[in-house]
Amino acid sequence: MILKKSVYRTLKEKKFQYAGVAVLLLLAVMLYVSLSMAITTLESRNETFSEDYKQESFHFVAGGSFTDEQLSLWEDEYNVTLEKRKYADFEVDDSTLRVFTTTESVNIPYIAEGKAPTGDQQLAVSKVYAEKHQYQLGETITIGDGEFEITGFVYLPDYIYMIEQMTDLLADAEKFGIAVVSRTSFSGANGQTEILGWTGDGDVPNGFREAVSEETALLQFVHSDDNPRIGFVETEIEGAKGMTTTLPLFILALSIAMVLMLMKRRMEMQRKEIGTLMALGYRKKELVRHYLGYAWVIGLGGTVGGLTAGAGLSVPLSNLYANYFNLPALSMFDWDPFVIVIGFVLPLLLLILLTTFVISRTLRTEPLTLLRPKEVSSGKKSWLEKLPLLQKGGFIRRFRLRLLVRNKARSVYIFIGVMFSTVLLLFGLITFNSMDQLVETTYKEILKYDYAVHYQSLMTEETKDEQSPFTMNELGVVDQDVKITAYGMEKDNEFIQLSAEGESLESDISEGAIISAPLAAVLGIGEGDEINLENSLNSDTMQVEVAAVADLYIGNNLYLPREKLNDFLGFPDEAYTGTWQNKSPENSENVYMVEDKQKAIDSFESTTGATRASVAGMAVFAVLIGVIVLTLLTNLIVEENSPSISLFKVMGYHDKEVSKLVLSVYTPIVLIAYFVSIPLASLSLQQTMNTLVQETGFLMPTDVAWWMVVIGFIVIMLTYWLSLGLSKRKLKNVSLQEALKKQQD
Amino acid sequence: MAIFANQVNKTYQSGEVKVQALRQASLEVPDEKIVTILGPSGSGKSTLLNVIGGIDRYDSGSIKVGDTVLDQLKDRQLTDYRRKFVGFIFQQYNLIPTLTVEENVEVGRELSQQPLDMKDTLEKVGMWDKKDKFPSQLSGGEQQRVAIARALIKNPQILLCDEPTGALDEETGKNILKLLKFVNEQYGTTVLIITHNQGIGEMAHSVIRMKSGEIVDSYENENPVHPEKVTWS
Repeated sequence: MILKKSVYRTLKEKKFQYAGVAVLLLLAVMLYVSLSMAITTLESRNETFSEDYKQESFHFVAGGSFTDEQLSLWEDEYNVTLEKRKYADFEVDDSTLRVFTTTESVNIPYIAEGKAPTGDQQLAVSKVYAEKHQYQLGETITIGDGEFEITGFVYLPDYIYMIEQMTDLLADAEKFGIAVVSRTSFSGANGQTEILGWTGDGDVPNGFREAVSEETALLQFVHSDDNPRIGFVETEIEGAKGMTTTLPLFILALSIAMVLMLMKRRMEMQRKEIGTLMALGYRKKELVRHYLGYAWVIGLGGTVGGLTAGAGLSVPLSNLYANYFNLPALSMFDWDPFVIVIGFVLPLLLLILLTTFVISRTLRTEPLTLLRPKEVSSGKKSWLEKLPLLQKGGFIRRFRLRLLVRNKARSVYIFIGVMFSTVLLLFGLITFNSMDQLVETTYKEILKYDYAVHYQSLMTEETKDEQSPFTMNELGVVDQDVKITAYGMEKDNEFIQLSAEGESLESDISEGAIISAPLAAVLGIGEGDEINLENSLNSDTMQVEVAAVADLYIGNNLYLPREKLNDFLGFPDEAYTGTWQNKSPENSENVYMVEDKQKAIDSFESTTGATRASVAGMAVFAVLIGVIVLTLLTNLIVEENSPSISLFKVMGYHDKEVSKLVLSVYTPIVLIAYFVSIPLASLSLQQTMNTLVQETGFLMPTDVAWWMVVIGFIVIMLTYWLSLGLSKRKLKNVSLQEALKKQQD
Repeated sequence: MAIFANQVNKTYQSGEVKVQALRQASLEVPDEKIVTILGPSGSGKSTLLNVIGGIDRYDSGSIKVGDTVLDQLKDRQLTDYRRKFVGFIFQQYNLIPTLTVEENVEVGRELSQQPLDMKDTLEKVGMWDKKDKFPSQLSGGEQQRVAIARALIKNPQILLCDEPTGALDEETGKNILKLLKFVNEQYGTTVLIITHNQGIGEMAHSVIRMKSGEIVDSYENENPVHPEKVTWS
C-alpha cells in the first residue's frame, strides 16, 4: 500500500515522539530480557557445574579419623560416593585463603584458566580472589611457610557463594578466597579433614548419619540444603526471578499507554484523511492495517532493539553474577525460548491489540462525520469545570485551570510518570543510605563486641571480666519452616545493647524475647505477639512473648535471658556456648569458630562501591524515563493546543507568557506526584525488603531522610524543566497562521 | 452511469433539534452527463450528494446508481460501491499531506481493478511535471487538480464534486471546470457538481435547484456553455 509511505514520513516528521515511546519499550524489553537471560544463564551454569563436577550432597567433620576401608564399606552399604578432603586457612595479604586438597569424585575442582596444580609447590586459586589481589598466573605467593606458584584459576562446586563462615551473609573476595593444591603438597598437620558425600539425588542415605555417629563423635554434618555456600545461589535465583518482571512490566505499561495516547492523537489529527480514504472506498480492514503501521514500527523497533540490547547486556550481567557467585562461565549465555517469547511476542501482541482497539474506535465513525471539521477546542467540557473554583479569577487563571481539567488523561500520565521516576530515584537513595544505616545501627550501636568466640563444646567455667558468656542454638518455629538463631545472654550486657529507635531495650528482656527486624518480618509478628519455639533435637517446645523488636537488621535472631534458654535446651544454668569479647582469643583450644565483627563490617562496606554504581544507574534510569515521558506529554500538549497558542501569539502574547499559560499548568501535578511518591517509595521498598528477607537474611532500614527529599526534588524538578525546555522549542515553532488554518478547516 | 433518486428523506439530529435535510427528493441523472445542483447553504445539496455517494444513509426512499440499489446495502457493500463506481472531489481537496502528488494519486489507483495510466492521468490534469511535489508546495488550484486525478484514476462511473471551485479564484475555478468537462467527454463519466455558484449551472447538461431539503426546480440545458464562458459569481 502506498499509504505506508505516509507512515514512514509521519514517523520521520515526529521522530522525537515515536522514538521516545520506542525507547521506553526498548528499555522495558531490554531490562526483562537481560535480567531473565542472566538469571537463566546463572541457573544453567549452576546446574551444569553442580552436576558435572559432582557437587556434594553433604559433608561432615568428625572427632576421629576414618580409614579408606571404612569409607569404602559405607560407600557400598549406602550407595554413596565418599571422599576425604583436607583444608586449612592461611592469612595471606590481609585475607584468609582456605586451601583444599584436590578431589576426584566429589566437589571436583574446575580449572577455568591455566592448569591444575600437580607439583608440591603449586596451587590454583579462585579467579575472583586472584583478581581482587592482583595475582597473575605463574606468579608465586607465600602461604604459611611455603612459596606456591599459581598454575590456574579454580572454582569449587561447594564454594559457589564464597563465604568464610556459614553464618556470613556477604561474600567478599578481598577478605576470603579459596585455593586448591595437589594431594601430595598438603602435608600441613594443622589442616582439618572433612568427608564429602555425593549421592546423585542430593539426599543423605537413611541411617548413614547415625552410622557415622556410632563410629565417632560428629562435630559437624551439613546437608547441601543447609549449606549457604551451595544453596544461596538457588534462593537468589528464585528471588531474582520475581524481580525481573516487576520493573519491566511497569515500563511496558507506561510505554504502551504512551503509544495508545499518540495513536489516539494521530487518529484525531487525521480524521479528515481517514474520512477521505473511506469515501474513496478504502475498507476498514485496510485502514486498520495502515494505521497499525505506526504500532508495528514502534513495536518492532522497541522489541527487536530491546531483545538485541538485552541479549548483549545479559553477557556482562551473567559474568557479574557469576563473579559474585564464583561460578565458572561454562556457557556464554543460555537462550530460554520462553524469555524470547515473553520479551518479544507479549509486548508486541499487547501493543498491536490495544492499538487496533484505539484505531477501530475511530473507524467506527461514519466517513461523513470524519470529513466534517471537529471543534477547534481540545478536550470535552468536564464536570470539574462547573466547580465554583474554576469560575473565579482572571482569564489566565481560568484558562490554565480549564486546560488542566480538560486534559485529565495528560494530567494522570504526568502524575504517573513523575511518580515512577520518583519511586525509582528514592529506591536508589534509600538503598544507598540504608547500607550505611544498617552497618551503623547493627554493628556499631547494638553489637558492641569485636569478636564472638564459639566453642566446640558446652562451657561451664567462669568467664573472664572482659568476656560475656552466651548460649547460642538454632531453633525452629512450630509448624513453620523458619530457623531462628537463639541467643541466651546476660542482662546488663555491655557487648550487646539491644535498642529500638535509640531507646534501650535492656529492661524488656526480662519480660520476654527481643527479636531482630528480619525475624519480625519473616514471621510477620511484632511486639506482644507470641512465638512457639521448637528444639529440633528433642522436639521440646516453648512459647515466648515478643517484648520488643530491636533495630538489628541482620539475622533471624532472638534474644532471651541465658538461664531461660539454658533451661529450655536442658543445659545447666551456668552453661554457655560462646563468649563476646573485644580481644582476639589468645588460644584456639576448644574454639570452633571466631566471628570477627570488623570482617563483617568490611564485607558490607566493600559492597558500597557496587551499591553506589547501582544507585547512579537507577538515578540515570529514573531521569531518562522521566524526561522521555514528560517531554512526550508536554510535546503533545503543545501540539493539541497549537491553535490556542497561535491565537495567543496573534493577540500579542510573548512565547514566555504562552508557555506559562499552556505548559507550566502542570507544575502543581508534578509537585503533588513527587510528594505523594515519597511515602510510597518507602512503603514499597519496605514491602520488597520484607519479601526478600527470607532469602537475604537481612533487612534494610527504609527511612526517608530529609536530604533524600531535597536531592529527589532537585532531580525531578530538573527533569521536568528539561522536558519543558525541550517542549518550549516546539511551542516557539507554532506559526501565527496555525489558528487561521484550523478555522478554515 | 445513470442515477435515480426516488422520494428520498433524511433527518439529522442536531443537539435537541431535528433537521430535515432531504424531503421527498427525487431526481434522474442520465448516463454520461454533467449535472449541477444549486442551492443556498443548508438547502440539502451536500446531503443529496453524500447519500448518492454512499457516505451517508437516508431514512426512506430509494436510490439506484446503475444497477446498484443503495437502500439496503451494508457498510461493506457501500464501501465496495464507492470503491468501484464513485470518485469524490472535495472543496478542501483533502490530499494526504505526507504523500507526493504521484503518491496521492496512487492512493486512488490502488483501489481500482482497471485503473487509468498514471502518467496519462497526471498529464491530463497538467500535474505530471509536479508529480514529486508535496501538497504544501502546491497552489489551491493545483491541489484540486491532484484531487481530480486521484478520483479519476480509479476510472469511476460517477464523479461527485462537492463545491470543487469553492476555494478557488475565477481563473483557477474555470480551469477546474474545464477539466471536469474534459473528464466527462473523454471518459463518459457522469459528473455531479454541487455549488452555490449559479454560473456553473450554465455548463451543465441539466440543473437541479434545491431549497430547504427539497428539489424545487430542475431543467435541462439545451446548449451548455463552455466552462470558460460561465458567469462567475
